[in-house]
Amino acid sequence: MPAIRIAALAMLATVTLGAAQAQEKVTFATNWKAEAAHGGFYQAVADGTYRKYGLDVTILQGGPQVNNRPLLPAGRVDFLLAGNLLHSFDNVRNGVPTVVVAAMFQKDPQALIAHPGQGYEKFAALRNAPLAFIAKDGQFTWWQWLKVVHGFRDEVLKPYNYNLGPFLANPKAIQQGYSIAEPIYVENQGKFKPVVHLLADHGFSTYSTLIEARADTIKARPDLVQRFVDASIVGWVNYLYGNRKAANALMIRENPEMTEAEIEASVALMKSQGIVDSGEALTNGIGAMSASRIKDFYGQMVKAGLYKSGEVDLSKVATLQFVNKRVGMDAKARLGGK
Amino acid sequence: MSSRLLPVLTMVALLLGWEALVRFAHIPPYTLPAPSLVAQTLWQNFPSLASSWWFTLKITFGALALACAGGVTIAAVFALSRRVEAAFFPVAVLLQVTPIVAIAPLILIYVESTTAALLLCAWIVAFFPILSNTVLGLRAADPNLRDLFHLYGATPWQRLRLLLLPSALPYFLAGLKISGGLSLIGAVTAEMVAGAAGRETGLASRILEASFRTETPKMFAALALLVVTGVLIFWVFNALSRRLLGRWHPSERA
Amino acid sequence: MNVGAGHITLQQVDKRFSAGLLALRDVSLRVEEGEFVALLGPSGCGKSTILRLVAGLDAPSRGTMDAPALRSGGRSTAFVFQEPTLMPWASVFDNVWLPLRLAGVSRGQADEPVRTMLRNVGLGEFADAYPAELSGGMKMRTSIARSLVTQPRVLLMDEPFAALDEITRSRLNADLLAWCATRRLSVLFVTHSVFESVFLSQRVLVMSPRPGCIVAEVVVDQPYPRDPAFRTSAAYLAACREVSNALEAAQAGAVP
Repeated sequence: MPAIRIAALAMLATVTLGAAQAQEKVTFATNWKAEAAHGGFYQAVADGTYRKYGLDVTILQGGPQVNNRPLLPAGRVDFLLAGNLLHSFDNVRNGVPTVVVAAMFQKDPQALIAHPGQGYEKFAALRNAPLAFIAKDGQFTWWQWLKVVHGFRDEVLKPYNYNLGPFLANPKAIQQGYSIAEPIYVENQGKFKPVVHLLADHGFSTYSTLIEARADTIKARPDLVQRFVDASIVGWVNYLYGNRKAANALMIRENPEMTEAEIEASVALMKSQGIVDSGEALTNGIGAMSASRIKDFYGQMVKAGLYKSGEVDLSKVATLQFVNKRVGMDAKARLGGK
Repeated sequence: MSSRLLPVLTMVALLLGWEALVRFAHIPPYTLPAPSLVAQTLWQNFPSLASSWWFTLKITFGALALACAGGVTIAAVFALSRRVEAAFFPVAVLLQVTPIVAIAPLILIYVESTTAALLLCAWIVAFFPILSNTVLGLRAADPNLRDLFHLYGATPWQRLRLLLLPSALPYFLAGLKISGGLSLIGAVTAEMVAGAAGRETGLASRILEASFRTETPKMFAALALLVVTGVLIFWVFNALSRRLLGRWHPSERA
Repeated sequence: MNVGAGHITLQQVDKRFSAGLLALRDVSLRVEEGEFVALLGPSGCGKSTILRLVAGLDAPSRGTMDAPALRSGGRSTAFVFQEPTLMPWASVFDNVWLPLRLAGVSRGQADEPVRTMLRNVGLGEFADAYPAELSGGMKMRTSIARSLVTQPRVLLMDEPFAALDEITRSRLNADLLAWCATRRLSVLFVTHSVFESVFLSQRVLVMSPRPGCIVAEVVVDQPYPRDPAFRTSAAYLAACREVSNALEAAQAGAVP
């Protein structure tokens, strides 16, 4: 066949394929205002990856007083970003029919930060801090784990309202933060580099930045779920190793308090701390999950007294059918990512 | 008989309606639990919810007692001197209109003891009705009675004890009825901000905990206890008012 | 006991209120010890103001005054208002006890005088009742009982029966005379009922409209005790007519 005819046929095929795969409207709710930790998703919107997979994705931001979690079981959003597996365990325990389909972060960036030179260089010293600023969400989840396993006490707990002021004003205080975010803000506002202790380094072994979907969506539209997961994975690869400018600009438009410098610093930390692309992700691609790791984390939480043994049916917590397919790894190689 | 029964029947009817709605519309328990499930959850968790309930009650009534003491004392000072009243009444108004939700976080950070912070927050919400009503009441004494007391050479202390305070009593009780409910609201709001801070925690903290862990029936169980508390407070102060004023004040003599 | 201590004297008394209102102009009157004098006039003529001056609740702007309240303090003078002015939160007993209580008399010590007083006014069984449970007439009796329990020298009454019905008023008129008969009381009784003023008093002082002053004096020459039959006698009707005429004349002379 002459080349021009092949080209014409190929174009026709693409157009028809594109037309058949009409852009499906999808809403994805996150758990915070737009930040670098959501970078891959915004990348997939900004560089057209979602569109290439036939998805018209709207990202619905969360925030300090906003709780998007009930939107997923209520059917108002199609996918939800969850910060750690504890949310999923709770859902299964309470009969909420949602399932984790991918884990974008291999490490939870949840951390405790402290002033330098106050004796908090070792993690064990943190439990003796006279003031710990912890937000509501943490108070009732991983703080309970810190109490049982690491000896922290409720007496020193004070509510954290996402204002660095009280922490900065009190050298003996500690507070929560994301290891890839708060230290940057502390350095900007407080002009010092805080001591950072990653909970993941001390036994809090959960995956993070999980994508959740309703069980009936998975059953009825597995193809849609797969496309969303794949496109998100590709988005993360492009974000970490490719050109982030458009994604960053989009995030700053959604969250004007963000600056480009903060985002870039955050991305650098994500890479150096191995938050996204480490461990299982290096072999199976970003988003990788394993049943054994989920089981192990659940065991830790049972020991911490958050759950009773056998209370949660782990098979309902997550499904591995959409990940571990080495998606995005060729793109990563092409972009020179290591 | 029927006037006592009517509210009870209404409540029962509403509860039955709620139960029917959940069953027939197949509403999942994590969205809206049926009353039967809430009751069951309350029963199962009663020991731990009860100790939280006790803490909330302590804060509520502690704050109310302080509001009475503070409100009445400040009212007496205001009633004695119009200048002092003019100077400081705006401060009181300011405290009343500032939403506690906004200042509770600051108080919780700067006051060392969480319990003291909670009491302070609830006090701020509760003291104003007692203050303003009591000031009104202290000024409401019958002017002819005032003249009579003056004529009979009453000392200021006698005047306060035998004329001003009894005259103020109906007004004070009216303020107390309002403040009873407000101190509960203040205690709950402050605790919503505080979360799990401190050693003991009350019902509001348990509601938050249940909400974060998607345990909706437990959240409703704790809410039910709060509602019961509010109703009890209303009922107790109404009965108190009836007892103290029943024989002589138009408001209770119907 | 000071002889003549119970008399009341006003000499050319003016009373101007702070708003500039002249309530009384050049008022002169005298009530002898043991006398029952009625003060009669239209509304707003200042009769209540005179009572307040005599009680020491207010001070004159000009002129001189002499009365027990101004000399030795309140205990010597009793005041009965148009409203019963009872403490609604206290029982009848406690209300009547009040003046004694304020003077330092304990409940136990006051028991006998208070209960006797209540029996005198016909409220012997109502010591534990509350004012809200009493009729208008009974409340007024309580008020009078309270005023008499300290054994005052002077009794000031400001239209005390004006709010009561005709029958009750009539009965209380008779009772009041009976209560005053056994005590040496100087009574200044304010009313705007001509009939009442003549029935009760020995002298009726008629006042002009505001600014008030005494414009006429009518002597009612009928000895005590005065029974209901007095109301239908010729002397009574003549006195009433004389008082009415004086009242009308005083009204006519008013500035429109």
